Amino acid sequence: MNPYAKKRRLKPLDVVILSVVAGVVAFFAYKVNSVLAYEWDWGVIPRYLLRRDEDTGSVAPNLLVLGLVTTVRLAIWSLVLSAIVGAVMGVMRTSRRLFPRLLSRAYVELVRNTPPLVFIFVFYFFISSQIMPLLGVDALVTDASPVTATLIAWVASPPKLLENFIAGVICLSLFSGAYVTEIVRAGIQSIPRAQIEAGASIGLSRWKIMRLVVLPQALQRVIPPLAGQFIILIKDSSLVSLISIQELTFYALDIAVSTTRVFEVWIFVGALYFVICYACALAFDWLERRGRAYH
Amino acid sequence: MGRALSPEPVASDTRSAPAPAPRATRGRTKWWRSRTFDVVQFVGLSGGLVWLTVRGAEAMGYNWQWYRIPRYFWRVIDGELIWGPLMTGLAVTVELSIYAMILTLAIGLVTALLRMSDSISGQILAKVYLEAIRNTPMLVQLLVFYFVIAPVIGIDRFWTGVLCLGVFEGAFASEIIRAGINSVPRGQWEASASIGLSRLHTYRLVVLPQAVPLMLPPMTGVLINLIKHSAIVSVIAVFELTTEGRNIIAETFMSFEVWLTVAGVYLVITCSLSVLVGYLERRVARKD
Repeated sequence: MNPYAKKRRLKPLDVVILSVVAGVVAFFAYKVNSVLAYEWDWGVIPRYLLRRDEDTGSVAPNLLVLGLVTTVRLAIWSLVLSAIVGAVMGVMRTSRRLFPRLLSRAYVELVRNTPPLVFIFVFYFFISSQIMPLLGVDALVTDASPVTATLIAWVASPPKLLENFIAGVICLSLFSGAYVTEIVRAGIQSIPRAQIEAGASIGLSRWKIMRLVVLPQALQRVIPPLAGQFIILIKDSSLVSLISIQELTFYALDIAVSTTRVFEVWIFVGALYFVICYACALAFDWLERRGRAYH
Repeated sequence: MGRALSPEPVASDTRSAPAPAPRATRGRTKWWRSRTFDVVQFVGLSGGLVWLTVRGAEAMGYNWQWYRIPRYFWRVIDGELIWGPLMTGLAVTVELSIYAMILTLAIGLVTALLRMSDSISGQILAKVYLEAIRNTPMLVQLLVFYFVIAPVIGIDRFWTGVLCLGVFEGAFASEIIRAGINSVPRGQWEASASIGLSRLHTYRLVVLPQAVPLMLPPMTGVLINLIKHSAIVSVIAVFELTTEGRNIIAETFMSFEVWLTVAGVYLVITCSLSVLVGYLERRVARKD
């Protein structure tokens, strides 16, 4: 087990591990097929991915695809919003004044020390009862022209569910904003002090040093962890299914209950999340390596 | 790849902020530049936000009933102390977290050893486990455990929650253990080999005494995450703090008061553990 020992051959340990894995798989197969007598029906998955439109006869996306699209939209919008929150809070976090530092520190600690679930519930009640009436989303949707309505449906969610969708985005982005704040702070603090001193010595004001010297360099360093935050957002967006926002997990719960094909639905949905997140992780890794090669 | 759940805590000050420029009024700071004013500003702003929330809720016809909250912690009837649902829920949360922490350490240790072993299948197994945990949402993992795995192996909801939390946090613990063991310099291994120590003795006498103090602060961080994430098992109706909170809301409709109280209880626990992490980190830093 010495980490510095390197030999590649089938070892006794391999035999043990392989037999344990085989044993576990056999146990599950036996239990599911013989004891629980579960009848597999994977046909339920394609039926809920795509459906045939009754009127036109063309193929249309069904609940699972719709849910997946909503999940991705949620993640994108929340990333944009939390990047804004994080940028403002991150700059405040490195301020010389105590007040902005106190403010952003309080925000970050508050978010990071409450369970995500509890945070989302608290803010959902708060947002839906107080902020939503202020925003007047309802009026906006009912007054929207057909063109605007289709536009909203494309970039956000069906107008009927828009208010719900926005509540979910606000919850998620306030939550992830705290983590982005820390990313931005780390980016700003990674800029060598000499850069700031150089800026001061050519007579730039503090704000100009920030805008012309620190931020352009910090932004570049912030992008890889921000890409990672996108993956985290795709995962965390499953939590908002609990406040009835109709994304992938919400529909999966729905389908599992209505069809009773519990095993198939959950295995498929778990695998779907895995494929998306892992593909994103590999893609971001590749982009980062390529980006580094250019420098 | 931003996979860490929370960025490493870094000393929070303004070391890289621009150096103070000499000012004409040097020697005597203006009152609006003083720290006291900053604190006053902060308190004022937070107070304003709270006031706005309270008034906003009242404007929507919300009836604040904070006086009804204490009885959900405990009541004294005829000199006898009776724990309320929030306290029993908290006890379940703690119990859940302790069992899950033991499981986390076991899974983390096994995974770390497998990853560092010279067996190919062990490395592949550990890698598959780590990627599967990192790339799926925790809620979906919980639902897979609850709907697929629990009926197969026949465990109840509480142990499903423990298993799910342990498996989830085990992935993070394994990285901490691996980093701790890898931080022991190569020369130490070679030195113990050269004085003829067996593998077990190398670990017990040389490697672990150096690696464990390094692992302690991040492991406490895992415990904090565990307590935070244990709220999620309320989805499968394990009667812990969050579930009890939801039940009280269902009975009394005091959503704001109860959610804020529940959040406050979690905050107190996690913040006090965070202080412990800070202390442990400082102690490790001092030794270097």
